[in-house]
Amino acid sequence: MNEPAELERENSPPAPLGRLTGRQTQKAATRGRVLEAARELFVTQGYHGATIREIARHAGVSVGTVFTSFASKGDILSEVMESRLEALYRELDQVVPYLRGSTVDRLRSLYAIFFAFEMQHVRLFMTHIAAAYDWTLPVTAKPYGRNQRVLQMINDCLVNGIRDGDVDPNCDIWATTDLLTAAYAWCFRWAASNGTDAAGLTEQMDSRILLIAKGFTPRGG
Amino acid sequence: MMHVSPTDAVRTAQGKGPTRRALAKQETRAKVLDAARRLFSEHGYEGATIRDIATAAGMSTGAVFANFADKADLFQEIMSTDMGELSGLMASAAAEEDGVEDALGAMLAAGYSFYQAQLPLVRAAFSASFALHSSTTRRTAPGTATICDLILQQLERGVAAGQLRSDADLQLRSEMIFDAYLANFSRAFRHALDADTLAERARVQVEIILASARTA
Repeated sequence: MNEPAELERENSPPAPLGRLTGRQTQKAATRGRVLEAARELFVTQGYHGATIREIARHAGVSVGTVFTSFASKGDILSEVMESRLEALYRELDQVVPYLRGSTVDRLRSLYAIFFAFEMQHVRLFMTHIAAAYDWTLPVTAKPYGRNQRVLQMINDCLVNGIRDGDVDPNCDIWATTDLLTAAYAWCFRWAASNGTDAAGLTEQMDSRILLIAKGFTPRGG
Repeated sequence: MMHVSPTDAVRTAQGKGPTRRALAKQETRAKVLDAARRLFSEHGYEGATIRDIATAAGMSTGAVFANFADKADLFQEIMSTDMGELSGLMASAAAEEDGVEDALGAMLAAGYSFYQAQLPLVRAAFSASFALHSSTTRRTAPGTATICDLILQQLERGVAAGQLRSDADLQLRSEMIFDAYLANFSRAFRHALDADTLAERARVQVEIILASARTA
């Protein structure tokens, strides 16, 4: 059994271009073509509409070749989403340590950053959410709601709130994180059917964050 | 009502009972629906083709299309049958409780146990409801409006009983409870959580959402 392609790639530092064997270069190029074709099809056809066969056809490779690089359609989508997220992570790493204010303010800032980042890709993000309901996905795939880094960030925000005294210590942190995650997904469905900008979405999300916050604010606080 | 059930159609078309032809048509529909339900459960919405459904029902694709406009129509019919049954179960589960949290908790628990028995089918429904083509979304979303309404009714009942403040934003809260209810399903698909665990989660979420709306 071969290592999953993603792990293989993460474990080996990128070799200088000149030192790649012809075969490696070709493999990387094929992979890139598949990802690019998949991204385009996910946007135009949605998660279910973009079949592996179509992705292969658009990338100009055989279905078998797609499967030598990716275990499933869900894995391809996960990689498409992850590769974009690097930019978001870089931004968050720079901003998050400097977030000030109440827990509510910090949550609102975090989600405003997410929206500003994802607004350019509402359709792609919808396919990402749809994948969360695809039970055929292998564990390697990370559909919406499984991004540990984002979940942890929200969780940390609430834990810090308990430390700072504006989040009730009895608050169920994971239930609250789930609620925020569900609300965020809802906003995208809303955006897809109503068409809006990042500001409109942030407003929708803010009303939800405020309501959830009332649930975790200490009594009498 | 969007759908006239085949039984009603047969009854209303004939003053004095169904003709043999109408009965045969009804039987054909039932056979197609049975086969479709099985195949959607096994292969999901996208995976089940009209051709496979026809084969499983022992008839031609033409015969299927004579009864249903397309796959979405077929799927919608199955979902709305289930939805009718489910909303009845949910409403009576809620009616047995006095407190608004208890009522909502019981209602959502009824939803989780109803689908527990047929998770593959509901997975197909949710995944189709997130499909990008809005016509499919509207037609196959599993009774979105109905469950939202049921939730809202419970909140209104809570206001009438003096448990919730009358100036609380009930609409927003009903949407959020519904979203949480749905999102818990995606977790169930991944971690094989049982209906009781889901109901417990939903109950905690309901409490958080209602915390600021309580009168006392």
